[in-house]
Amino acid sequence: MNIALPEMLHSITGNGGNGSSEMTVLERQRARMKWQQQQEMSYFNEQNDQLMNSFHHTSEAQQFHGLINVNDQSLNELVTRAIKSDPSLENNWGDFGNTGTEGFGYVSVGVGHGGMSHPSEMNYAISRTTSCPPTMAENAVSTVKAKETILSSNRGRESFKKRKADKNQHLKEVAEEETKEKKLKEYVEEGDSKVTTEKYSNKRSASNSNNSKETSDTSKEKSKITEDKKPDYIHVRARRGQATDSHSLAERVRREKISERMRFLQDLVPGCNKITGKAGMLDEIINYVQSLQRQVEFLSMKLAAVNPRLDIDVDNFFNKDIFATSTSSFPTVGAGTPSEMLSMAPRQFNSLQQIVSSSGLEMGILNLSEMALRRTTSAPVLNPELFLDSSGINQVQSFPTWNTDLDNMYAMELQQGRSAQFLPHPCTGFVEAENDLKMEM
Amino acid sequence: MRNPSSLKQEFLKKWIKGLQICSATKKKMSIMERRKAIKVSADIAMASTRKSTTYWSHALMANASKDDTNKIIIENILGNDDDNSKRIIFKKASMGISMSQKRIVRSKKIVRNSCKISRRARKISPSTIAKKLVKKRTQVLKSLVPGGEYMDDASLIKETLDYIISLRVQVDVMRHLANNASHEINDPKTSS
Repeated sequence: MNIALPEMLHSITGNGGNGSSEMTVLERQRARMKWQQQQEMSYFNEQNDQLMNSFHHTSEAQQFHGLINVNDQSLNELVTRAIKSDPSLENNWGDFGNTGTEGFGYVSVGVGHGGMSHPSEMNYAISRTTSCPPTMAENAVSTVKAKETILSSNRGRESFKKRKADKNQHLKEVAEEETKEKKLKEYVEEGDSKVTTEKYSNKRSASNSNNSKETSDTSKEKSKITEDKKPDYIHVRARRGQATDSHSLAERVRREKISERMRFLQDLVPGCNKITGKAGMLDEIINYVQSLQRQVEFLSMKLAAVNPRLDIDVDNFFNKDIFATSTSSFPTVGAGTPSEMLSMAPRQFNSLQQIVSSSGLEMGILNLSEMALRRTTSAPVLNPELFLDSSGINQVQSFPTWNTDLDNMYAMELQQGRSAQFLPHPCTGFVEAENDLKMEM
Repeated sequence: MRNPSSLKQEFLKKWIKGLQICSATKKKMSIMERRKAIKVSADIAMASTRKSTTYWSHALMANASKDDTNKIIIENILGNDDDNSKRIIFKKASMGISMSQKRIVRSKKIVRNSCKISRRARKISPSTIAKKLVKKRTQVLKSLVPGGEYMDDASLIKETLDYIISLRVQVDVMRHLANNASHEINDPKTSS
């Protein structure tokens, strides 16, 4: 449940945030994933099919980086082939490269999320370009990113691997080259990704040398994925006009996480709606937690004062095991109240359990010795068990209604007294219990 | 999310169990002892509903198990669950937390020393003031949430979320109990 909480948060927020440029990075990521999944297009060139076959073979390989390597080179081949065969693609060159990068992006994301197969990711990417370039262009324009960053979710912010995806098709060669060279330098300078920079530069040189002049554009536009053996990476894209530093990206992700959770805290803590800003909200949260803790202390004090002895036991009503073993303590606290409870049995089963528990608890009368006595009385116990089984199934009642039900029940109790509408086999033991209780009172 | 009523029932069950154990061990308790027993068993019951999946529940149990009498309670409440969690909790109570404490103390020293060096160059801007405030408050929150000192910001907030829900459940159950108890005492029973 605890792990599911962020997922739940994401699903809640992700639905409403599609398409706006103000979406958080995580929201956008989720939206993109969904959109991608919906794009079940199977538009293949023959080359694509061949490519896919090769992918399928290689996808069996477990090493993530190996797979990506293959994808990289294969995509280059695909690009060259596509160019030669389909000159119309040249116009959407940038798109193709971009979607190729996106494909790569989602390949790695797929690993991270464990949901998608890499070849299928490639399918989506390639099919997207071939089938709907204009929409891709729109997407590219609307969500222009400068860079992608892969963050490790497990570690702090230690190892970063960078990927670049230049979506702006109008910037083309020169600008891209410049930016990419700058990034390279940045990579080299940063201490975090030393290993990955080496790989990065190696890959780049390799890919450059391999490709022809025409494909060199796409290779630069394409993302450079450095191999990483840890599958658990969160892929983040930098927004337009924002710093593309890996540190700042990580910071932004962290901040968004925190703010997302603060929003949920806002819903939870009463009176936090008007307050904006972390400090004020934290203040409210602290006050609330402190007040809750104080309430617990106060209530425990109250309960201690009310009960002369700590003996409270109705939880046997909850444990069916006890009836089987009959060694642990016994469900008879105020045997009178259980009887009344049972008489109420035909009423709402939902509230029965809670009522039983509450009234039994509040009695707090029995000693353990007396409980030993009542062990003999098994019959009245059976009844609660029966009712318990049914009420155990309907665990729906919420506490506010419990209160009202309880009030009703108390009224009924007082009126009905001890009508023994019990079982057909009410033992003498039960009568004994009743007597005992009377003596106690 | 969990069903709140099922949570409440579970908590109630475990709490009563703990109270029974308490009453079995000591016959006559003073009011303060009773209060402490009630609170401790309530806390343990609440923590055990999460079964150590959350950090705070684990820390709470570890802290509680330092006291010997509470150990019995914990053992019994967790009795149905696997033994691994019990072992982990008792182990952690003895050593784990202290070790992480040392680690954190050491790193704090380093941070403090580095801060002292750069103190002169610090500018007083509204952003830094805001950051200071937030930091102070996160410190307070860390002291409130059990086991919070060893967490980073994001998980701290997650834990507070969980902790608040559990506290609410606890308060609800206890309040109803207390109300009914006092109600019962005030209204004389016709049967008696």
